[in-house]
Amino acid sequence: MGRIRQQGPQPMIRDAANAAQAAKAGPAVSVRGVDMDFGAGPLAVADAGFDLARGRFLTILGPSGSGKTTLLRMIAGFQTPTRGEIFINGEPVSKVAPHQRAIGMVFQKLALFPHLTAAQNVAFPLKMRRFDARGIPARVEQFLDLVRLGGLGGRRIHELSGGQQQRVAIARALVFQPDLLLLDEPLAALDRKLREEMQLEFRRIQRELGVTTINVTHDQREALVMSDEVIVMEAGRIQQNARPVDLYRDPANAFVANFIGVTSFLPGRVAPGGLECGGILCPGTPRQALAAGTPARGAIRAEQIRMAADGAALAGLDFRLQGQVRDAIFEGERQLYEVVLPALGGIAVQVYHHDASDFALTAPGQTVTVGWNRRDMILFPAAVP
Amino acid sequence: MNQSRAQRWVLGFFVLLALVMLSAPTVVVMGASVSAGRMIAFPPEGFSLQWYGKILAASDLRQAFGRTLVVALICTAVALPVGTLAGIALAKFRLRFAGAVQVYLLLPFTVPLIGSGIGMMLAFGKMGILGQLWPVGIACAVINLPFMIWAVTASAAALDPDLELAAANCGAGRVQTFLSVTLPAVTPGIITGSLLMFILAMNEFLVSLLLVDARIVTLPVQIYNSIRSIITPDLAAISVVFIVMAALAIALLDWLVGLDIFLKSK
Repeated sequence: MGRIRQQGPQPMIRDAANAAQAAKAGPAVSVRGVDMDFGAGPLAVADAGFDLARGRFLTILGPSGSGKTTLLRMIAGFQTPTRGEIFINGEPVSKVAPHQRAIGMVFQKLALFPHLTAAQNVAFPLKMRRFDARGIPARVEQFLDLVRLGGLGGRRIHELSGGQQQRVAIARALVFQPDLLLLDEPLAALDRKLREEMQLEFRRIQRELGVTTINVTHDQREALVMSDEVIVMEAGRIQQNARPVDLYRDPANAFVANFIGVTSFLPGRVAPGGLECGGILCPGTPRQALAAGTPARGAIRAEQIRMAADGAALAGLDFRLQGQVRDAIFEGERQLYEVVLPALGGIAVQVYHHDASDFALTAPGQTVTVGWNRRDMILFPAAVP
Repeated sequence: MNQSRAQRWVLGFFVLLALVMLSAPTVVVMGASVSAGRMIAFPPEGFSLQWYGKILAASDLRQAFGRTLVVALICTAVALPVGTLAGIALAKFRLRFAGAVQVYLLLPFTVPLIGSGIGMMLAFGKMGILGQLWPVGIACAVINLPFMIWAVTASAAALDPDLELAAANCGAGRVQTFLSVTLPAVTPGIITGSLLMFILAMNEFLVSLLLVDARIVTLPVQIYNSIRSIITPDLAAISVVFIVMAALAIALLDWLVGLDIFLKSK
């Protein structure tokens, strides 16, 4: 789709030539040492910093209260950082009012204007940004088509389904071709099937328009599926900033390892070649150099623990030991087992198992063998109490 | 719901009782207004519309009615901007003295009407503006303003604060956001409050009584003056006109915004 020149003024860009040059060279969004202090309790956001290149899709992932929405709202301009600076296209924006930033946003509860039709909602940013009135209907039509709502422009908001309302909100956020698109958990309220459909839809539209996007969510699957880059936040701090694959394969700390995927932790001390737990050496790899004897936790993913009723089937693994199945949860394509390991002092690990023919053999109470390879268990320093 | 027969009877009895009590004055007045006799009476003696003809012909009643309309319009015109802005401010902003402001705005309810009436009579007298209609309109606005504020606050409180952020994100400045998002959202409350103010000012008696003189009597005062001599069925006919006007206002409200918002308002 051809980029349509914006006729309205762009107050954010004072010197168009300079800005265009800076925009080509630098990142689309740059966050530098940003704090947000609401006065009570610890900082809502502490020393946040990242760069986002043009056209990339970034997801900020974290549990509720981690500061991810606050960070997004500071980028949108609804809140001003108490420290640090945010740059958009290389321009500091702390003193730029929200309505003067060229940012499109899809709100958590969508925040569509209930007294307007779908088309009027989409036309609203164009009117407010003083686009040429003659071009507005065609532009609105074009973006309603983009979100596959062609022909429904005359509907009132409450006459549209949840998925259709999502699409109106996307069209409204994108219609003036913003420099940056912000998504504030707009998919959180949808049922799973529609949510997965809309995740792909967001991705398709984002690729089609090439708009730089920052998405906020607490849904790890959404973050992995949709994003080029993922930032994990906890307690106001950025824990890790990485591609989805790297985030999953190589978590920076125990929080990230625990937050993404199904992970079991073994407590113990660092020993040569692994973790000493309950007098047994469990093979593992420290993520960063740890002195022997340091209190540590070994993290291992449920799908990296192998399990079999017959221990001989796991002969090729670095480590094997026996356990008892305590619980088995059928998830359709796979089964999630909880296996107690008496040799490690009764710790339970979670194991994904895919072999359908084996499901019946491993009922609760049965003795099984589990095992893993050295590289699959990552050692993190134990949190200092 | 599973109700026993006795429960249904008891409930039905009280509902019926409430309906009768609420509608009795209206029914009596309407009956009396179509009486063929010369004295006000219920049940009416015969049927006749002569009293409606008589009030139509009476120029003093027509003039009083016209003055009452003027008072109601002034009252609404004053209360509309004041009540709208105050209502939105109370609902939206965490004001420094929100509690005190709320109490202050509700004060007219706590002071007996006779008290505020006398107060305004003294104040207006001092200013030398007694004997004109517009102070009566302002007085009605002052004493009834809490209704307007309540109606607007109920609408404004239901407004999603993200809507205004969304407008800003779409490029709307503060004034544009107010005009294009905030105002439409509270319009039902404004309509409700305005109609309420209009009807209350139409019916306002006590404060009007203190603020008008013989040249500018409003209709309720005129009716009161007439009662002091002979009570004739034309007074019942005027009352019916009032009732019809109130009913029209409610019908208008229902048509414009629906009654549910009014019934739900806090």
